[in-house]
Amino acid sequence: MGSRRTILTPSLIAIVGFLTVCPVVMLLFGSFSSGLDAFGTFTLEKYVTSYTDPAFAHILVNTAVFTLGSAVVATFLALFLAYLNTRTNIPFKFLFRVISIIPMMIPHILFAVSWVLLLNPTNGLINLYLKQLFNIQGALFNIYTLPGMILVEGLLDLPIAYLIVAPAMAAFDVSLEESSKVCGASNLSTLRRVTLPILRPAILAAFTLVIIRSLASFAVPSVIGMPGRIYVLATHIYRIVSTGFATDYGVAAAVGMSVLAASVTLIYLYRHLTSEGEKYVTISSRGYRPTVIDLKGARIPLFGAVGVLSFILIVLPVIVLFYASLLPYSMVPSAKAFSLMSLKNWTAVIHDPISLLSLKNSLFLGVAGATLGVILSVFVSYVIVKVRTRAAGVLESLSFLSFSFPGIVIGVGFMWLFVRTPLYATIWALLIGYIATYLPYGIRPLSSAFVQIHSHLEESSRVCGGGTLYTMRRIIVPLLIPGIVSGWILMATMFVRELSISVVLSRPGTEVLAVQILRFAEDGLWGKLSALGILMIFFSTALVIMATLIGARLSKVEN
Amino acid sequence: MEIRISHLHKRYFSEGKTITALSDVDLVIPANRIFTLLGPSGCGKTTLLRSIVGLESPDSGEIAIGDEIVFSQEKGIFVPPEKRGLGMVFQTYAIWPHMNVFDNVAYPLQARNEPAEEIARKVEKTLRFVQLEGFEKRPATKLSGGQQQRVALARALVAEPRVILFDEPLSNLDAKLREETRKELRAFLTKLQITAVYVTHDRIEALSLSDSIAVMKEGRIVEIGTPKEIYFDSDQRFVADFIGRTNLIEGQVKASAPPCTIVETTIGEIACANKSGAAVGQKAAVSVRPEFIRVVPGDRPPERNVFRGRVESLVFVGDAYEGEVRIGDTLMVVRVEPTVRVAEGNEVSLFFEPGHCSVLSR
Repeated sequence: MGSRRTILTPSLIAIVGFLTVCPVVMLLFGSFSSGLDAFGTFTLEKYVTSYTDPAFAHILVNTAVFTLGSAVVATFLALFLAYLNTRTNIPFKFLFRVISIIPMMIPHILFAVSWVLLLNPTNGLINLYLKQLFNIQGALFNIYTLPGMILVEGLLDLPIAYLIVAPAMAAFDVSLEESSKVCGASNLSTLRRVTLPILRPAILAAFTLVIIRSLASFAVPSVIGMPGRIYVLATHIYRIVSTGFATDYGVAAAVGMSVLAASVTLIYLYRHLTSEGEKYVTISSRGYRPTVIDLKGARIPLFGAVGVLSFILIVLPVIVLFYASLLPYSMVPSAKAFSLMSLKNWTAVIHDPISLLSLKNSLFLGVAGATLGVILSVFVSYVIVKVRTRAAGVLESLSFLSFSFPGIVIGVGFMWLFVRTPLYATIWALLIGYIATYLPYGIRPLSSAFVQIHSHLEESSRVCGGGTLYTMRRIIVPLLIPGIVSGWILMATMFVRELSISVVLSRPGTEVLAVQILRFAEDGLWGKLSALGILMIFFSTALVIMATLIGARLSKVEN
Repeated sequence: MEIRISHLHKRYFSEGKTITALSDVDLVIPANRIFTLLGPSGCGKTTLLRSIVGLESPDSGEIAIGDEIVFSQEKGIFVPPEKRGLGMVFQTYAIWPHMNVFDNVAYPLQARNEPAEEIARKVEKTLRFVQLEGFEKRPATKLSGGQQQRVALARALVAEPRVILFDEPLSNLDAKLREETRKELRAFLTKLQITAVYVTHDRIEALSLSDSIAVMKEGRIVEIGTPKEIYFDSDQRFVADFIGRTNLIEGQVKASAPPCTIVETTIGEIACANKSGAAVGQKAAVSVRPEFIRVVPGDRPPERNVFRGRVESLVFVGDAYEGEVRIGDTLMVVRVEPTVRVAEGNEVSLFFEPGHCSVLSR
């Protein structure tokens, strides 16, 4: 037992270290190297080139406006929803759980595309409709702008902000508010002077996390920003590595280093804020229900607002995509539109060899990648939770490191790592990149599963006459299954839709779904794009259902 | 079944420090009795219990259960816990959350591959014994704390173990339930006539449940005896203090006058009737528990073990007053019956029987 454990931890540190540290190191070396070899001639030229580019200042401003704007939108909406859910008598509260979970099922690139289909200036559905209605020339809305990007990214990051703000709001000790009211303050001034300041760490944490995610976001900047020539850092890097004539991975690495540095700094800030939050938010020990604020007349209008929001977040993108997939070109729903509907786009996609290949590749990456990723996560979580030596602590920080890596930047790092190896331009390069970047998605659910398995549960099986294997089979594995299933689902769905690493690592022959969708978007092939997008949603939902069913068969955990 | 433990040692290394959990423990746990290991946290009682079960492997020594040696450093024997045929109730109950009550209780029989109808019969019988019949199909985690405790007990009993062990099984229950469950447990164990080893840091639990108690301190067993012996007759300060509130009056042994020992103390001469190995001239303390001090208003004729003092404080605690009485420089804690008419500042006489005073020479 003892010797096995001592080998386990160092080998896991080696594997996880390779996965998370190597790309960063290669990115660093690559940024200082001329040519395609990371250990080539030392040069500062790449940094000089990238940071003296006259367009760079503008890109930085765009990035700042985009990330801060998205954070404001997402945090504000999250606060609004969380307050309504935890503190008021708004009807149909189950809708809030739906809002916080379901949008994560819709790939970001498809969400962005559906907004393009609605609001692009040439043939966006809403623009076309308004043109008809008011008989005007030109478009009323243009999605290809910074405000357009901010709106869509803000909506995309709303669930994650909500998941941080809502628990803090629910755990809030209401007596703090009550004492403010006893002191004579009104509802509104209590909210302003007591509630919000106490929730400040949670609000700031949500705000920071949205900044991190929008900094790493590629779907919205590429689908909405690039057609409007609005570049942020992520798309700037993409432009450097993907436009044929001036591909320079050294310059991309040099830009990537500052994005990475910003992201790591923000993650530390986020960590600091969440630990601060624990200090602040007091969970009342005497199971008091928070006093529910009666919305009175505002109850129905506010619920209407929530309903519209959830419609926009969940139903609208799918409907728009489905509608567009059936039409030859964009048009407002009408008798003519319905008469023109056909499955042409679907048959075109099904007969398109590259689309089929990308579907096959993405499914392989989803299934194989999630399986390997979960196996690695089982061992890593075991060491983190149960071994708990100093080395285990090292492993823990290593495995959560990639949480702060923006996908496109780490993609460039992996590019540098693989470029001189036989892995270059293979599907295995993608597989390794995916697992490295999304490892925390597997470790989170599995470590909480291990935490749940108190050592007494194992020991008591031993005392009851169960040997090591018997205990494994009847106690440990069944208790781990729920964690394994949710880890697998999280990883598989992330892999099927993966875009930002893939745009760097995917090569002819290793196309994946999201990259193929991006190509369709760049070519304006909205019909084919929508058909492929629906297929993507369909297959990732199928994977989720399959995994859930298998998990339910393997363990009969009563909750 | 009797458990014999000899020369058991166990050390831990934690954060660069060596912690001695067991230090030369020699112990015979008699068959078919409830035997309690009592001590403050960190005294090694849980390590000793886990060594008996086989969840810890001591550094040296020997453990025998009945005629079978289950651990011996010298002979290189270590029987794994699943082969020791014991039952154990954990502090957390360790109820498996993915199984219902039936499967939790049936587990030890299933692990032994007993036939299904035999399992059903034994589980039913055991559940009836712990008064949980009809709960078979319930998810185990949906039960209350007390019921979970009984499931854990049923699981420990179902395979008719040679010994049943308890690791602070009541510490997760609230005060009222703890008292009820303690009585229940006592009734169950008396009915069963089984060897039970019980670990606790709660003196009331130890006193009320056990046939005998071993008090542990810093990895050693410092005293073994019946609850009454431990409570009244210990000659050790640590034991007398740990087992209940007491007044420790410092002094020196003056004379031995069988059946009593006379100790010259800070409040005067005290006659103590307990057996004590203390020699004349030795430094010693006298222990008198507050509940055995009689408080009388005013004067009493000078007599053996009668002292005069002044009431410093008096607090009503429901069934009695708790008071402090100053005799010279010594403050004595006393319990005063609510019917006795005294008030703060009154002069009173204190009296205690020699039989209630013990000489603490260690």
